[in-house]
Amino acid sequence: MLRIIVNSIIRGWKQMARRPIYICMMVIVPLVSAWFFFDLMADGVVMRTPVGIVDLDKSDLSRKLTRNLSAFPQVRIEKTYGSYQEAIDAVQSGEVYGFFFIPSDFSRNALSGGKPTLSYYINYSYFAPASMQFKGFKTLSVLANGGIVSSVLTTMGLPSEMVSATLQPVVTHVHALKNPWLSYNYYLSSSFVPCLLALIVMLITVFSIGMEWHAGTSRNWLRTADNSIVLATFTKLFPHTFIFINVGLWIQYMMYVKYGFPLNCNPWNMIAAMALLVVACQAFALFICSLVPNFRYASTICTLLGMLSFSFCGFSLPEEAMYSWVAPLGYLMPIKYYFLISIDQALNGIDLSYSRYYYVVLIGYCLLPITMLWKLRKNCIDPFYIP
Amino acid sequence: MNEEKEKVGWLRSVALTMRQEVKHILRDEAVIIFFVVLAIVYPPLYSLIYNPEVVRDEAVVVVDDDRSELSRRFARDLDASPDVWVKDYVSDMDHARDMMARKQCYGIVYFPADFENTIRHGGQGHVSLYCDMGVMMRYKAMLTALTNVQMETCSRLQSEKVAGIISLDGGLVESRQVPLGNTSMGIASAVLPFILVYVLQQGMILGIAMLHAGSIGRRRRNRGIDRIDEVKATPGAMLIGKAMVHLIYYLVPAIFALHIVPLIFKFPMNGGFMQLVLLMFPFLLASSFLGQVLRIFVYNREGVFLVIAFTSLIFVFLTGISWPHYQMAPYWVAISQMIPGYWASTAYVQMQVGGATLAQVGHMYIALWMLAGIYFVLAYLVEIVVLRPRYKAMQLQSELDPEYLQRHVLYQQGDDDLLNPEWIGDEDEEE
Repeated sequence: MLRIIVNSIIRGWKQMARRPIYICMMVIVPLVSAWFFFDLMADGVVMRTPVGIVDLDKSDLSRKLTRNLSAFPQVRIEKTYGSYQEAIDAVQSGEVYGFFFIPSDFSRNALSGGKPTLSYYINYSYFAPASMQFKGFKTLSVLANGGIVSSVLTTMGLPSEMVSATLQPVVTHVHALKNPWLSYNYYLSSSFVPCLLALIVMLITVFSIGMEWHAGTSRNWLRTADNSIVLATFTKLFPHTFIFINVGLWIQYMMYVKYGFPLNCNPWNMIAAMALLVVACQAFALFICSLVPNFRYASTICTLLGMLSFSFCGFSLPEEAMYSWVAPLGYLMPIKYYFLISIDQALNGIDLSYSRYYYVVLIGYCLLPITMLWKLRKNCIDPFYIP
Repeated sequence: MNEEKEKVGWLRSVALTMRQEVKHILRDEAVIIFFVVLAIVYPPLYSLIYNPEVVRDEAVVVVDDDRSELSRRFARDLDASPDVWVKDYVSDMDHARDMMARKQCYGIVYFPADFENTIRHGGQGHVSLYCDMGVMMRYKAMLTALTNVQMETCSRLQSEKVAGIISLDGGLVESRQVPLGNTSMGIASAVLPFILVYVLQQGMILGIAMLHAGSIGRRRRNRGIDRIDEVKATPGAMLIGKAMVHLIYYLVPAIFALHIVPLIFKFPMNGGFMQLVLLMFPFLLASSFLGQVLRIFVYNREGVFLVIAFTSLIFVFLTGISWPHYQMAPYWVAISQMIPGYWASTAYVQMQVGGATLAQVGHMYIALWMLAGIYFVLAYLVEIVVLRPRYKAMQLQSELDPEYLQRHVLYQQGDDDLLNPEWIGDEDEEE
């Protein structure tokens, strides 16, 4: 018995060692991609969006506004344009992402009660830069209004502390819980990188099983494991599990230690989640392989689901905003539960009991293929491959 | 005379390659799937997922320790705003936090006990919002609603207060935001146009890689010779011939993805149709040559999936959908500029969403042609330095040892015992 297990495992390791694609896809690609994401967004927050300004007023007041704008961290004044048309052209050619427009006679109208309008034009094709511009421009126009009003009120003899209370009787405090820096990296990379790993785990699992059909070695695979499909899949996938979990933990190490992502729970909660994610994804792919015993279709299904996971698991557009028939699809994928765990545990640090069901579901995935292994066995004994 | 003849010969070999490639594609069901169906299925799928565009009625709970008219009015205004829905009023923060942990709400609005009193006595009242930060769009929706209600409330209170002194209805200066291009300010119209372009590029590369993998498979079975892919054309003629076929095959999917899909899902369409077609031309050409360069890494069909899937994601991020280009490290910018999809999607978005003309994105157009040129040269080098010698080597090895290529597969599968000829004999008897 032991001999059989050892032989099977050796066969599994040989496969990995003899095809460069395994090491490449299992170790190098996930780690390099993870680093790519972390490094790409290392600044955390989008700052200094290139914008333009159109000043048709050319008064002291409008120049003051321009100076104020240039002091905001959200935007960087790339250029001053002479007209609206020039500025629009600059947005269209991609030179700037938006511009602030001060109409002519602005200061005269403002002081005489003519209610002039400050406009800001923002290119919403780019999300993050657009919201940064909105923040900067909006603050500037509120400040402009406040500045003018307070100077009017002060000249009318109102005490200055009353002026500020009059200007802004209600103050808001926004607490972005556990991510007060609003870091994009913490938010986006912590879901996208594990999702990428999940995709790779599924594809590699399908690939390694599919290759047995493709190369016509599936019978020998079974024979090495003494015709036990459980033993065969276990010995084949276990070396993968071992490598993937290590890669996953290394990714978590990069996230939480090197790049300082919020980790507000016991680290073991996330380590367990990662281990479960890897095994659940393997089990999911194994299940697909058993269900659809065709290399091509199985890998197509896994690629499709894995790629769409980035969208329908609700990392960017939250599930409650999706169509009611799209949102539940996310719950098909193991990564969704990992994502929910990582928000509950790593980010929010709430009690483990709130996340218990997510762990249970992940464990459930691991048991899923047991129901279909008989079919996989049948297809390994009598394989068909459509080239 | 002689030169003339040579020219005709070159054109003829391009034409021959084209005919061969058409046959090659038609014979291959899988390639048709990835060449065409991918471009037709993926864009609507993505569009359906993102089509709601924005977050509406995000659930929050209110903890009101003030219970004044002003705080109630504020909460009602929040509820009335499109972005937020006040799901419940609860008595204390602990209860609210518990609801948030159970994902029954994603934000808590808190009014302290002296909220109204402070304001009535000429001070500043404070409202706090606590947001779950798991998904950024929720935070944005709640922030927008809160800021809008705050501003409305402020201007209402202001005008009440200074009514006797001056008319201050809403302030002395007004401001307005004008969204350009993506006027819905939604996620679908911001993200999808980029993805649509990448679906084309990745589909093209996938198709080319699959064709090549099919050819390698046939060579493996047939002693290094592939009867379908064997054209006696010079490398240049062969590359161009193939690229022409890819271009023709991709015309319909490209028009579908970049014109029909936006039409169906009501994405912004401000670009001229003919100008977009003109833009697609160098893009598809560059993608085809890039695909032909990447054949160097292709050994078998299914491995292709692995690589295409994750590169898609990286490419899309390099283009600056989520993280803008001006804030990337220079090395990432340099890498992104080597991807045809980067230039094509950026130009496409500037045109289709932003309403730019082709002339306004001229530098991107030129960059695409340059990439097409660069990848042609690279593909040429790959063809003569790597691929053709590789086929030769396969043929030579097979001549020395007819079983070599098949045995190599078994070796890679770790079936060393199958390599034993006696065993193979056994297997034959069994069948």
